[in-house]
Amino acid sequence: MADAQMRYMDGPAFDFFLIEMVNTLRASSAHAQARARKVEQEMIDAGLLPAPLPTPGMHKHHKDSTASLASRATAKVEDEEEGLKLRLEAIGMHVGANIAEKLCHGKPYFSETLDSIKFVCKDLWAACWDKQVDNLRTNHRGVYVLQDNSFKPIARLSSWEGRQDATKRARVYVMMSAGIVRGALSRLGLIGVVVPEISNLPQCTFQIKLPKPS
Amino acid sequence: MPALVYLNAVAFVSSQNHPILVRTFGQERENNRDIRYHYIAHTSLDVFEERITANPKNTESYLGLLYTMDDVAVYGYITASKTKIILALSLSDTVVKDAEVVNLMKAFHTAYRSAVANPFLRLHAPADAVSDHANSLQVGGAKWKNFRRAIDDIAASTGAISAPPPPPKN
Repeated sequence: MADAQMRYMDGPAFDFFLIEMVNTLRASSAHAQARARKVEQEMIDAGLLPAPLPTPGMHKHHKDSTASLASRATAKVEDEEEGLKLRLEAIGMHVGANIAEKLCHGKPYFSETLDSIKFVCKDLWAACWDKQVDNLRTNHRGVYVLQDNSFKPIARLSSWEGRQDATKRARVYVMMSAGIVRGALSRLGLIGVVVPEISNLPQCTFQIKLPKPS
Repeated sequence: MPALVYLNAVAFVSSQNHPILVRTFGQERENNRDIRYHYIAHTSLDVFEERITANPKNTESYLGLLYTMDDVAVYGYITASKTKIILALSLSDTVVKDAEVVNLMKAFHTAYRSAVANPFLRLHAPADAVSDHANSLQVGGAKWKNFRRAIDDIAASTGAISAPPPPPKN
């Protein structure tokens, strides 16, 4: 009973799940936000909440209606993306924490922050994405930058609207991976923030900000 | 299976030194000696601290025998997530092998890990909340039933006092 049962799972299943998750969560977060907005609207109507300040777009609307529509549309889309990204990150955190715990079975705790980061770069990356991080940089003040030149979840992403659109859409897909890294670090005791950035498509960098070691 | 170790109690303590679970077995439970094991777990924390600061370059998760008190020997184990597992074994004349205790510790760690991996445990917690498991843990509650059952199974497998003797075959 000391060693856990080995369970096997299909490799590509992770990729399929990620695709489905993004679509499902997009719908679910839109729904949750619509619900929240409805409640807000009801409270405004009942006079409980002050009416929201008119956005700058609305001021201009008699002059230039198309601009305001576009800005309102992008604001709404960004809102929805935020909700989607938060949910993906939360799921990733849970997954990352538990994977880290499982991978560290029998290993002693890490006495150095750098050791934990190296564990993430090597063992966690190899377990989740079959390779190791290509480049690790740090400013020795709690900021680490992990660079992967061909990050597995986005390596096969493409969009018929062109590279830039693909890069924009890929940002959502890496949120879960950022969550995995963040969760793993938090389970090892390092609580911080992980920000993923995509500049050219298969290349992805994760910036980890940890509180300054005392 | 012959009883190799007499397991009195096991305690799990989170990385922030909050108690997660203290479970006593067998006769100790019948005699209502639970509180004593809370006290034992608490004093073990100091020994953990000592051992950690004395040996910052840590190489082992199993800390071995921490101390003995009255009639119990207390063993400690610290995991990668800084969760501490404390075992109280009743002192006996038989030599207790380290390997056995390590196995026990690993089994308890695995049970804890499976319990914590349950995503339904803290369904309504904010997504960003740091997981100090002690807080969400109403370990007496329903959600942790499987964890308690797994712990009891592990204890029973050691032939601890809690396992009833097999019925005579006639």
